[in-house]
Amino acid sequence: MQATAALTVDHLPPQPPPNVIRFGMLTFLASEAMLFGGLIGGYIVLRSGAGPGWQMPEALKNPTTMAQTFVATIMLLSSSFTLHFSEVRILRGQRGGRLLLLLTLVLGGCFLANQAHEWFSLYHEGFWFNTAGIMGSSFFVLTGFHGMHVFIGALLLLAALVRTALGLITPERHAFLDCSSLYWHFVDIVWIFLFTILYIL
Amino acid sequence: MANGTSTIDVGTEEFPALPGQEKGTLTGWIQDLVFTVDHKKLGLLYIGTAWLFFVAAGIMATLIRLQVAWPGNHVVDPATFNALFTMHGTIMIFWVAMPLIFGFANYVVPLQIGARDMAFPRLNAFSFWLTFFSGCLLMFSYVAGPSLYGASGPPQVAWFALAPLTSRAFYPGPSVDYWSLSLLVSGIGSVTGGVNVMTTIFCYRTKGMTLYRMPLFTWATLTTMFLVVVFLPPLSAAQIMLTLQRYAGAKFFEPLAGGSPILWQHFFWIFGHPEVYILVLPAFGILSEVIPVFSRKPIFGYPMMVAAIVLIGFVSAGVWAHHMFTVGLNSFSVTFFAFATLVIAIPTGLKIFNWVGTMYGGKIRYELPMLFCLAFILQFLIAGLTGVMLGVAPFDWQLNDSYFVVAHFHYVIVGGIVFGIFAGTYYWYPKAFGRMMDNRLGLWHFWLFLIGFHLTFDPQHFSGILGMPRRIYTYQPGRGWEIWNLLSTIGAFFQAAGALLFVINLFWSAWKGKEAGEDPWDAWTLEWETTSPPPDYNFETLPEVRSRRPLWDLKHPEDPDWKFE
Repeated sequence: MQATAALTVDHLPPQPPPNVIRFGMLTFLASEAMLFGGLIGGYIVLRSGAGPGWQMPEALKNPTTMAQTFVATIMLLSSSFTLHFSEVRILRGQRGGRLLLLLTLVLGGCFLANQAHEWFSLYHEGFWFNTAGIMGSSFFVLTGFHGMHVFIGALLLLAALVRTALGLITPERHAFLDCSSLYWHFVDIVWIFLFTILYIL
Repeated sequence: MANGTSTIDVGTEEFPALPGQEKGTLTGWIQDLVFTVDHKKLGLLYIGTAWLFFVAAGIMATLIRLQVAWPGNHVVDPATFNALFTMHGTIMIFWVAMPLIFGFANYVVPLQIGARDMAFPRLNAFSFWLTFFSGCLLMFSYVAGPSLYGASGPPQVAWFALAPLTSRAFYPGPSVDYWSLSLLVSGIGSVTGGVNVMTTIFCYRTKGMTLYRMPLFTWATLTTMFLVVVFLPPLSAAQIMLTLQRYAGAKFFEPLAGGSPILWQHFFWIFGHPEVYILVLPAFGILSEVIPVFSRKPIFGYPMMVAAIVLIGFVSAGVWAHHMFTVGLNSFSVTFFAFATLVIAIPTGLKIFNWVGTMYGGKIRYELPMLFCLAFILQFLIAGLTGVMLGVAPFDWQLNDSYFVVAHFHYVIVGGIVFGIFAGTYYWYPKAFGRMMDNRLGLWHFWLFLIGFHLTFDPQHFSGILGMPRRIYTYQPGRGWEIWNLLSTIGAFFQAAGALLFVINLFWSAWKGKEAGEDPWDAWTLEWETTSPPPDYNFETLPEVRSRRPLWDLKHPEDPDWKFE
């Protein structure tokens, strides 16, 4: 009993109630939205300035890449649902919450793996920051910045998983999970915009 | 709970010393400053940092003024001159004005809303140290050794660093990177600080303190922090794009590769114009606290004042391109941005009328904070009027990048914001240190700074209209600019003398000032309810707030405000 005491809820310092943390997190996400808004706005301005000269590279247009990215998109979006159901279960103290959290992480990991693969194949086709003009610059900045956010979100969820396993996230005390999941949902929403403007339009 | 006072059960012992920390020694004191998460200490650290950078950037300003004092002068060489105005502008905005805003928000807002501390105390410390070290990062460019490219030293790109001057081809070496990265880091610090203050105001108001009963300084700070959270990220996005352009070969702002240098200007001013309101709204807030207390009347038109603050905040989002009239926008954009710019004059004018309305018929006490507020009203009026002039696009085509613009924005920032900050300092200093600031030194400071300010910036309107361009290194005689420049340089020394007396006063009064007591100004907001300086836990008991002037209700139970609101 004494050995595990340091890890139980009763021995942690008091925290402000979750709605404060949630409010802070949402405000922070508003600033993140403006950061992506800036980058996306820049992309739109540059692209509309380029007019018909704007050609997506072959590597992005071929059906295999499109199919792979589409599957990765579906995976990232469904990870939001698995995360939601995981959170619901953990907050209700039901079984299966941790498994769903793990599944979320796996889905996010698959998305990141696909992004990395795409970057490598583009690089080998000679499409990089400095070789493909503003199109290359914008593509890599947007996907790279988003990928970095997915990576950070995955780290947060991993930490949430560990904390759940250690009993630090409970139905009464779950601010960490709350914030990580808000962040994850935000990153997913950003990807919907990015996928639309980079791959579809 | 009886007689309207709710008591909060708090431990009143001091915080325990950190491991290895000795209380009462110099090292213990330094450790306390470094590891503190207390909003009052962090607020003072912010303000102290700001005055430190203020001295540095003020010396730069004096050198700039010396260089252009008379025609053909050679006090510094041209490269140093370019570096001087770049560093002066950047430091004054990001490491003087911003930390002052955050310092006052930190110190005053939790006290005004009856909170124990900020919502996220450790995040607060994080924000402060990011701000502090990002400033050090920029200053480090002065001592960083010559790079492989032979170009180093401080950046020479002006504070808005227009593309494509900042690309590798035109600016090799690390100078621009110091500029860009330090702004990125300070941006992160400001955004986290903004998140913190907003959360504090929305979640930690004491019992009965509805949004509609909030002091106006808190309202102004809330709007400011909203602008920080929303409009600093586009600048960070631009800095990231610039850094990738310089290091990864991206082409965002390179016209030859299809990039757009004007895009940089849009990014910069989407941040840059709300920044003006980020700085001036808290100064408005300070005036709205000081003027009622020293006129012995409640603020005139509180709902209108709140509406004006929020309206200014929103409209400020749609005016940025008035900094870009001369780049060749289409006529629709010019009309839109000129119109939006003129619209801002309405809520601002409303505030000026309401301050005057507050003073009308009041028993005005000409104490130091009030003197600075009076100067503020006059100067900000003129600053606003020249702003309206420059907001009219054809006028701006004539005078853009002239000394007229320099005079205009120094009127806003020095005549407005700095005077407001001085008023706030004289007003809240007794709360922070328990002692009054010395009145005689303060009066000397006021008059020297007032005369210096007008002597410096009034003539610049004339040299600007006579065609003197901004950022010019030197000029030929016979253009009619000599007398104005000479006057302006003399004024700079008056300001420097005033500022020196102010700094001396800050230290002298903390040591020898008259004891202040809890409420030296007979004021009405909650921060005057606790001891001066406030204890770690801020309040032992708090009255239940039932009106906008909770302490008036306490002092005058026979005639409380809540009967009339």
